[in-house]
Amino acid sequence: MFRTEQMEINMGPQHPSTHGVLRIKLRLDGERVVDSWPVIGYLHRGIEKLAESREYIKITPYTDRTDYVNAMSGNLAYLGAVEKLCGIQVPEKAHYIRVIMVELNRIASHLLWLGTHALDLGAMSIFLYGFREREMILDLFEAYCGARLTYNAFRISGVPADLPPGWAEECRGFLRLFRERHREYEQILTKNRIWLRRTKGVGVMDAEQCLALSVTGPVLRAAGVARDLRKDESYAIYDRLDFEVPLAQAGDTYARYEVRMAEMLQSARMVEQCLDQMPAEGDLMSMKGRKMRPKKDEEVYFAIEGPRGEQGVYLISDGTDRPYRCKLRNSSFANLQALAPMIQGELVADVVAVIGTLDIVLGDSDR
Amino acid sequence: MSAELITNLVLITVKIGVVLTLVALAVPLMILMERKIIGFMQARIGPKRVGPSGVLQTIADGLKLLLKEDIIPDKADKTVFRLAPLIILIPAFVAFAVIPFSGTSVTILGQEITPWITDVNIGLLFVISISSVGVFGIVLGGWASNSKYPLLGGLRSAAQMVSYEVPLGLALVGGLMWAGTASMVGIVEAQRQAGLWFFVPQVAGVLIYFIAGVAETNRAPFDLPEAETELVSGFHTEYSGMRFGLFFIAEYANMIVVSAVATTLYFGGWLRPFPSVEALAFLDIFNFILPGAWGPFLSGIFWFTVKVSAFIFIYYWIRATFPRYRYDQLMAVGWKWLLPLSLANILVTGVLLLWLQPAPA
Amino acid sequence: MIDFFKNLTLWELWQGMAVVIRNQFRKKVTVHYPRERIELRPRFRGVPRLRYHPESGEELCISCLMCEQICPDDCIAIEWEKPPGSKGRILKSFIIDYQRCCLCGLCVDPCPTKPLTAIYMSHDFELAGYDRQDLVTGRKELHEGRPVTVYTR
Repeated sequence: MFRTEQMEINMGPQHPSTHGVLRIKLRLDGERVVDSWPVIGYLHRGIEKLAESREYIKITPYTDRTDYVNAMSGNLAYLGAVEKLCGIQVPEKAHYIRVIMVELNRIASHLLWLGTHALDLGAMSIFLYGFREREMILDLFEAYCGARLTYNAFRISGVPADLPPGWAEECRGFLRLFRERHREYEQILTKNRIWLRRTKGVGVMDAEQCLALSVTGPVLRAAGVARDLRKDESYAIYDRLDFEVPLAQAGDTYARYEVRMAEMLQSARMVEQCLDQMPAEGDLMSMKGRKMRPKKDEEVYFAIEGPRGEQGVYLISDGTDRPYRCKLRNSSFANLQALAPMIQGELVADVVAVIGTLDIVLGDSDR
Repeated sequence: MSAELITNLVLITVKIGVVLTLVALAVPLMILMERKIIGFMQARIGPKRVGPSGVLQTIADGLKLLLKEDIIPDKADKTVFRLAPLIILIPAFVAFAVIPFSGTSVTILGQEITPWITDVNIGLLFVISISSVGVFGIVLGGWASNSKYPLLGGLRSAAQMVSYEVPLGLALVGGLMWAGTASMVGIVEAQRQAGLWFFVPQVAGVLIYFIAGVAETNRAPFDLPEAETELVSGFHTEYSGMRFGLFFIAEYANMIVVSAVATTLYFGGWLRPFPSVEALAFLDIFNFILPGAWGPFLSGIFWFTVKVSAFIFIYYWIRATFPRYRYDQLMAVGWKWLLPLSLANILVTGVLLLWLQPAPA
Repeated sequence: MIDFFKNLTLWELWQGMAVVIRNQFRKKVTVHYPRERIELRPRFRGVPRLRYHPESGEELCISCLMCEQICPDDCIAIEWEKPPGSKGRILKSFIIDYQRCCLCGLCVDPCPTKPLTAIYMSHDFELAGYDRQDLVTGRKELHEGRPVTVYTR
């Protein structure tokens, strides 16, 4: 007597809440998602191909622009791979400065995640409060390296410049303020009944599914798997810092929210420790003005823990000063695979929540 | 046609004209204040370049909407498409017919002018029933657009508005029991005689009414039908230019109606705070400035405006703070929480009234 | 028991609203650009420009072509000539194509001149123009800066 049809809807590349140009084709039965196909590639710029025809030094600005929200991590992953390839040691003070910048960038990236996720779900004010704090971090970066989004702040074998005078005080002042504001964000969202209803039980991924799809980062830690490259395969000077890796068990959107909020506080703790432990004097670059000599046919893979998950660079050298192949393993591309199983059977309104909680940056995914 | 009938008709027409003009002027002001107030809450300034401090922004927006091309989708049902904004706009304005703006009448040219257009003795019921008609506009607008997103938005909105009508009405019953009459003027008079505003014994009633009112007007946190981030504008996606403007005006006019009813029923309408305490008579400032009946007339309008503005500020405050309810959770809140609570409210109010004023022998 | 009442009276919702209203009274972060300008930090990386020797006023650039070689986007084009009789090079023309420049700052690193580097990252960031050729900047504008239109309203 009644006939129902399944509707195919396109959450197109231009949509107020897909973070970047992500297109998802949804097949809906009423309001439930029956099937979904993400379509990516709208932001592909051929960075890996460009890297094959540029010298190692010149590729650093390109790695800023893959995951543009946390460009410092992109720089660190690539330079770490180059230094591993050529066997270059980075001086201690440079390591400290790199870790300070990367952790501050983690806070900035999570603030952007929080703002856009809350905005998608309707809480508009957190977006602007988060960005107000993020602007302070970007001011700190501007004082250090001169740019606010695409930093190019590190060089092979170190950092080009020391922290400017007064930077450490400004940074500590910011961290004090940030902890207060973090409490405010928690007051608005963490126990809010509307937020709880929108995020608890939505987009559940348990540990097995995450591992099967090679999902890393806060998504994996929210499912209960304690995998953090900063602790498991420590790089730079993370082994000297005292921090915890937040874990949750539920694997739903609310668990990921809790994990990322806790991570912001842990990063603040790490930055303070670095500022305390950093030597006042020291070399900044160990290889200034000398030629790099990578061996022929050497392959190296170096991964760091970015805010979104494991961010790695795989380099193959052919003996010259240009790489034979530079592959960027980024977390957004892998995490995006988790989208389809997460929204199966959920309502359309939950699709938006799930995209927000996966914290996808399309520049990262499409390179 | 007697002279009295003609005078009455002319008087009512003039009053309707005045009230509609005032509402039509208030709506752009509300839109501007929303942008500025929500901006302030978000550590930024709202519009500021058009006119001094951004005051002419809405007029600029209105002009822009008037000058836009009127796009009607090819496969849309053209008659219904054109009618839908009117179906939601007209009830929003008609509801103003029974809202009292002040307490005392003034005399102009020998005619007594009451500060309300009319006062029927089923005033409250009239407002609720008229605002229910507005649901049609949304459903028909979504359906006539012949497009997927508006369809989803229209259906959602229809279900939401219909299901929140019930707690809305039931919450008002609590206040009605205290007032003893459904005439809007009578309700405020009852508050003046009792010496207290009815929100004091009816805290639950006010909360339920306000939440149901926010859901009725499709405002955050119940604004899923027009959620930008999920449905790209919901039922008014396909509307452009001034048709969209009419939907917008209707939404804000509905907000004023809900606030005005809440003010009248629970917060004393045009009365000043503590109306029976003589020591606070100075709060009716216009009484001492203007002679005769004009003083109380303007004092009443002043206090009414202050209270309605406070409610509208709360609307904006709520919008800036809370995330949105998902559609099925929205329905769950309406049917599983607000409805039983409003029934419980009626029960408690009834018992309370019986205990305070036992039935005459 | 307390949780039940907190739930009924919407306790955490009022707390959230209190935070928002507190923010209403904080300082606003809007900067009224272009009437107000944000103060840039000293190390801000705008577009690369050339400079003269601070004391003698002569051209600092020695046409070593290091910045041209290191630029990832190939946006610098230098022409030089050998002066008769002396060692060294004289700069003939220096063109930076601002359409391609990604403001990465790599060109400043290898510049060898003393006491200041010949090429430096200026604080100019307002690059909008009506014609693409406007952005291909020659030696004179690299020294003096591109003309910027100032709006009065």
